[in-house]
Amino acid sequence: MEEKISFEDNLARLGKIVSELEKGDIPLEKAVELYGEGIKLSAECRRQLSEAHIKITEDSGEVPAEN
Amino acid sequence: MPVITVTQINKYISFRLKGDKNLQGIMVKGEISNFVHHYRSGHMYFTLKDAESSIKAVMFASAASRLKFTPEDGMAVVVSGSISVYERDGAYQLYVNDILPEGAGKAGAALEQLKKKLSAAGLFDQAHKRPLPWLPKKIGAVTSLSGAAVRDIINVLSRRYPIGEIYAVNALVQGEGAPDSICRGILRAESAGCDVIIVGRGGGSAEDLGAFNTEKVAYAIYNCKVPVISAVGHETDFTIADLVADMRAPTPSAAAELSAPSAESLLEMTDKYEQRIEKSSLAALGRAEDRYSAISARLTAQSPENRLRLTAQRIDSLEKRCSDSFERYCERLDHKLSEHIAKLDSLSPLKVLSRGYSLVYKGEELLNSAEKLEKGDVLSIRFGSGGANAEVTEKW
Repeated sequence: MEEKISFEDNLARLGKIVSELEKGDIPLEKAVELYGEGIKLSAECRRQLSEAHIKITEDSGEVPAEN
Repeated sequence: MPVITVTQINKYISFRLKGDKNLQGIMVKGEISNFVHHYRSGHMYFTLKDAESSIKAVMFASAASRLKFTPEDGMAVVVSGSISVYERDGAYQLYVNDILPEGAGKAGAALEQLKKKLSAAGLFDQAHKRPLPWLPKKIGAVTSLSGAAVRDIINVLSRRYPIGEIYAVNALVQGEGAPDSICRGILRAESAGCDVIIVGRGGGSAEDLGAFNTEKVAYAIYNCKVPVISAVGHETDFTIADLVADMRAPTPSAAAELSAPSAESLLEMTDKYEQRIEKSSLAALGRAEDRYSAISARLTAQSPENRLRLTAQRIDSLEKRCSDSFERYCERLDHKLSEHIAKLDSLSPLKVLSRGYSLVYKGEELLNSAEKLEKGDVLSIRFGSGGANAEVTEKW
C-alpha cells in the first residue's frame, strides 16, 4: 500500500509549520490551529519511520526495464 | 697446460660475466616458480621460467622490502637485475633489483593517460559534482546482484532508511562485458526513477577493478542525470569512477550510509520540530495573554469608579497644595516680623543707654545743651537701668 502522503512531504510541512509559528506575529486562533496540525504531523512522521519497511526491487539487467 | 683450482675458475667466470654488458642491468620476462621468502634473512629465492627454460633468481632483503606486492608462484613478471655467479656452487643466477607484474607498467601508464584525458575533458571537475538528495525516494544500486556489495547496501539501508526504496540492477563488475553492463545498469536505474545511484563492487585486485577505470563507465557516470556515488571497495588509488562520481565511498556499505540519513536522525529531527512547535505555541498563547491584560487594564482605567477615585485624588492633592502654600505664606510673614522686631530693637534709645549714655531732663524737657541751666537747678537723669535726681553745682 502506498503512503497517502510521503514522509518527506510530511516533514517538509512540519518544518513550515515550525517556522510559521516561530515568526510570532500570527493570531492566536491560527497558532492553535497550526499547533494541532503540527503535533498530528510529528506523530505521523514517527509512525512512518517506525512502521515503514524498505522496498526492494531487483532488476536482472537483462529484460527491458519496467518503466 | 697449467692446472688451476675450482675457486680460480669460478672467480674467472664471475669476472667474465660481470664484464659482459649484455648480462648486467637487464630485464627478464618470465613466470615465478619455487618461490621462497626466507623468513630469517628476508631474501627471496625463486626460479624464473618460460616454456622451455628456467633460471635461478635471488632478491636480497634490502630490495625485496621495497616491493609493493608479494610475488607468488605462477605470477607473470618482468624482473630487472644482473647475472652473476654464486661461486660456492659454481652456479650463475639472476640477482634481482625489482619485480614488476607483467603488463602492470603498460596498464598503469595507459590508466594515467586516460585519467589525464578525462580530467582535461572536465569529467573530474568539482563544479560538475551534484549534491546528493537529502531524502532520496529511490536509491539505485548498480552492481552484481550475487555479490556481497548489494547485500551490504540492502542491509545498511533496511536498518537505516526504512522509508526508502532500493532499485538494484544486476551488472557484471568484472570481465570483458563489465563496462557495458555497468553503463546499462546506470541507465536503467536512472530511467527507473532513482534519485541517487550507487555504482560499485566489493574489494578486488587492481585488475578486477578494470571496469571502473574505463572511459565508458566514466562517461556513463558523468552523463547520469542523477547524482552517483562510487563504491569500489579498495584502499589504494582512486579509480576513474571514483574521480567522476559526485561522491566517493570507500565501500558499498559506506555508500549506502552516505546515500540517506538514518531513521534515528529523522526521528530526532521530528522530536525537535515538535518541541519547537510546543514552545512557539506557548509563546503565542503568552503573547495573547499579555495583549489581553494590557487591554483590560486600559478598560479598567476608564471605569466610573476609577474616574471618581482619580477625581477625589486630584481634589485631595489641590487641597494639600492650597494648605501647604498658605502655611508657607504665614511662615514668610512670621519671619519678616521677627526681622523687623530685631531692627526696631537695635534702634531703641534704651539700647543706647545700655551702652553708657544717659538722658538728662529738666522737668519734662529733654536737654541737649547746658545753655539754659543755672546753678541749683534739679535735673532728672535716666540711665540704661534706673534713674536719679541731681543738682547743678557748676556750669561749664
